[in-house]
Amino acid sequence: MKEVPTLAHAHTHTVKRYSGIMDWLTTVDHKKIGILYLITGGFFFLVGGLEALLIRIQLWKPLNEFVSAGTFNELLTMHGTTMIFLAAMPMIFALMNAVIPLQIGARDVAFPFLNALGFWTFLFGGVLLNVSWFAGGAPDAGWTSYAPLAGTTYNGDHGVDYYVIGLQIAGIGTLIGGINFLVTIINMRAPGMTFMRMPMFTWASFTTSALILFAFPALTVGLVALMFDRLFDANFFDPSGGGNAVLWEHIFWIFGHPEVYILILPAFGIISEVVSTFSRKRLFGYSSMVFATILIGFLGFMVWAHHMFTTGLGPVANALFSIATMLIAIPTGIKIFNWLFTMWGGSIKFTSANLFAIGFIPTFVMGGVTGVMLAAAPADFQYHDSYFVVAHFHYVIVGGLILGIFSGLHYWWPKMFGRVLNETLGKLTFWTFFIGFHMTFFIQHFLGLLGMPRRIWTYLDGLGFNEMNMISTVGAFLMGLGTIFFLLNVTVTAFKPKNAAADPWEDGRTLEWTIPSPPPEYNFIQTPLVRGYDAYWKEKMDGHTEMTPAEPIGPIHMPSGSILPFLMSLGLFIAGFGFMYAPDWGNLGSLNTGYIIGAIGLLITFGCMITRSVKPDHGFHIEVEELLHDKGGKA
Amino acid sequence: MSAHSHVEGQLPHEPEKATLEGRNKILGFWLFLGGETVLFGTLFAVFLALRDQVLGGPTANELFQLPLVAAATAILLTSSLTSVFAIHALHTHRVKALINWLIITVVLGLGFLGLEIYEFYHYVHEGHGFTTSAFSSSFYTLVGFHGAHVALGIVWISLIIGQLMKNGLNTTTAPKVYVAGMYWHFIDVVWVFIFTVVYLMGKVG
Amino acid sequence: MANNHSATEESTKRHKVEGPKKHVISYLFSILLTLIAFATVMSGELNRDFIYIVLVGTALLQVFVQMAFWMHMKDRGHIFPIIGILFGVFIVFTCVIMAEYWAWW
Repeated sequence: MKEVPTLAHAHTHTVKRYSGIMDWLTTVDHKKIGILYLITGGFFFLVGGLEALLIRIQLWKPLNEFVSAGTFNELLTMHGTTMIFLAAMPMIFALMNAVIPLQIGARDVAFPFLNALGFWTFLFGGVLLNVSWFAGGAPDAGWTSYAPLAGTTYNGDHGVDYYVIGLQIAGIGTLIGGINFLVTIINMRAPGMTFMRMPMFTWASFTTSALILFAFPALTVGLVALMFDRLFDANFFDPSGGGNAVLWEHIFWIFGHPEVYILILPAFGIISEVVSTFSRKRLFGYSSMVFATILIGFLGFMVWAHHMFTTGLGPVANALFSIATMLIAIPTGIKIFNWLFTMWGGSIKFTSANLFAIGFIPTFVMGGVTGVMLAAAPADFQYHDSYFVVAHFHYVIVGGLILGIFSGLHYWWPKMFGRVLNETLGKLTFWTFFIGFHMTFFIQHFLGLLGMPRRIWTYLDGLGFNEMNMISTVGAFLMGLGTIFFLLNVTVTAFKPKNAAADPWEDGRTLEWTIPSPPPEYNFIQTPLVRGYDAYWKEKMDGHTEMTPAEPIGPIHMPSGSILPFLMSLGLFIAGFGFMYAPDWGNLGSLNTGYIIGAIGLLITFGCMITRSVKPDHGFHIEVEELLHDKGGKA
Repeated sequence: MSAHSHVEGQLPHEPEKATLEGRNKILGFWLFLGGETVLFGTLFAVFLALRDQVLGGPTANELFQLPLVAAATAILLTSSLTSVFAIHALHTHRVKALINWLIITVVLGLGFLGLEIYEFYHYVHEGHGFTTSAFSSSFYTLVGFHGAHVALGIVWISLIIGQLMKNGLNTTTAPKVYVAGMYWHFIDVVWVFIFTVVYLMGKVG
Repeated sequence: MANNHSATEESTKRHKVEGPKKHVISYLFSILLTLIAFATVMSGELNRDFIYIVLVGTALLQVFVQMAFWMHMKDRGHIFPIIGILFGVFIVFTCVIMAEYWAWW
């Protein structure tokens, strides 16, 4: 098909280029957006970590009164919600944004404007959620917000409203990001990069994005229904109106189970990259890895009721969901063996990134096997709502995802920031965090088996819980120390000169290592030609130092920045407050004040959408002279 | 990338797919529709779970007037056909016909909405309000959500009509038209399920 | 080829002229399916399960017709849209609705 040139050439119109803080507020560049996600996600990780420490302090001894019971419920709710939605997912998006276009040889994602919008909605959703701390009470019904506890009968203040609205706003961002990466990966790969030549991190992100696309709408419906119940007196989950509380659980977990695979699959991708690079060896069983990733994603939608074994679904339902859950262990096991076989016979370099990846493997396996234990429905009747479950999911999320993220951060830090993180501090981070982690959570398996329920704000003396809780709390502080070492590392590194090589690990296998660290705005001067899996490694093995270009040098069209994503998200933020406080803020004239504010917020958002639609975005061009100058400069 | 490969002014065969941006938008929108399928599907599931909980209010059988629903269905279905004609005009590069078919689509959409608003107003007077029961809450949420989608579509297509009048048909406006057409078909497909599951099955019991 | 310009135009016209006819037939078929569905319900005396089967059948058929012909899903180059929509449908039917119903009785 004859290609028609892209959007109108903007040779003559003046281009508005921002600098300083306006640059960051208006950026649509995936690399900058990745950094924004990292900073914000990192910040919320600290908030969630603080909440965790407060929880552990409260629990370190029996009958402690460090915080009240009500505050404890808020802490555990916010810890879970913040960590999953505001820390883990954004940090995943940070790495996806920073790396995917580079790995597939693209100049940006498919929808740069939407990419920015996704970030700002996440930010404002997260801020809204945390404003609750200062506005009379955070949500306190658990991160799973079960009905009827989450309804107005038992939860009359605004805490859960913040949860419902904050997550809806943040959820929009996640959905946008998911669609963005799917289209980017499908449509914008460099010539020669077939699906089976994509790096594993790209494959994992692709599957994750598909999961996001199909799981988040279910959550949206649940949140909307709960919001309607709370704000507009609907009857979805209220038995007195004919509603059903278990319905909430179904809807939540149909989202919730794929959500945890959304969390872990990118980590799997990172481990594949890191282990392969630092073993100087091709990933073992690439095809089976791809197949296993897709199978895990697919099966992830079929197991949600294993969170509901004790709700009375009946033995047939329980048995089927039991078996389906155990099935997922098979493709996961394939991945574990593939990583081990990759390392076997390889020339292993124990960099910090690789330490985190290698530490991930046995830790995640431990989390996985307790998962299989939980999957046995009859056994789960004992484990359910005990610390055994808490231990399991922290093993897979923290011991899995967070170790994976640390690994990815250490690995890709030079590409993102042009500086290599300090190795000594990195190793210090790893060992303190790793030991602290196992100390905190290994012991919790036994607490659960001894009968300690989860989400309790204190416990009696003489039950055998005391010493274990104490050890767990100490471990938590060690993890905090590890985090501080990482922050120290980041700070110290920031003062180093920005002189990382394009391929700082010298063993880069994939396309991101073929361009400078950090890359120029347009990523690739010329789109590379991909001749096989591990595209860069293949060229290296054939004696080349660079990729063969797939196109001549020509002017590169770039999208313009825009303040609209920021304003649209601000509008939603304002609207959220209006609708939440409508019952409390009286009337302005004959109209409800809250609704007026809500309407203003929505008007801002829709006004921006319309502006975006009717105002043409011609972007700007980077001319050949500048490209040749950059090329000469880096030679 | 800067050589023009056609005579200036001649639109390519499928203008919406001629640019990378256009192809990205179309694929992105298909995927979005996949997500919307799950969204509406979940709403359907909630409705199916709660549809017997009428709590003393009127039941589906008592409430629904099938002739009205049939009329609304016919209008929406026809509007989907006119949007097809609009896309055909897009592909044969006839801007005036395109605009006219889009206008007719919008008018039919407004007709559908009008009938639905009248229908809801009538139900409220029959004692079937949003807060009446679980059945009513889930009914209004599902059908109302669809109606909101129709309303959004009307605004969207109207804006596109404006843009076509201002900028004409080119490789930038073509994907917008195509995507709006996809959206309009999708909400018609959802309506097929709504009239089947909510109204017809509701009537049968 | 003698005149490239007009050949393109003609092939454009030739390619698309068949378009509206298929679409109009799909429309009429959809109307017919809708009428069948409504008539089945309004007839009154039929067995309930039979009516349900007719309703679901006509709905599925109509959706198939609309998606294949009006949304071009039968044309080439639509593999990802097909995967996307089918997977969404799969989740909806097998997971959401089936389990809801089943978990409920």
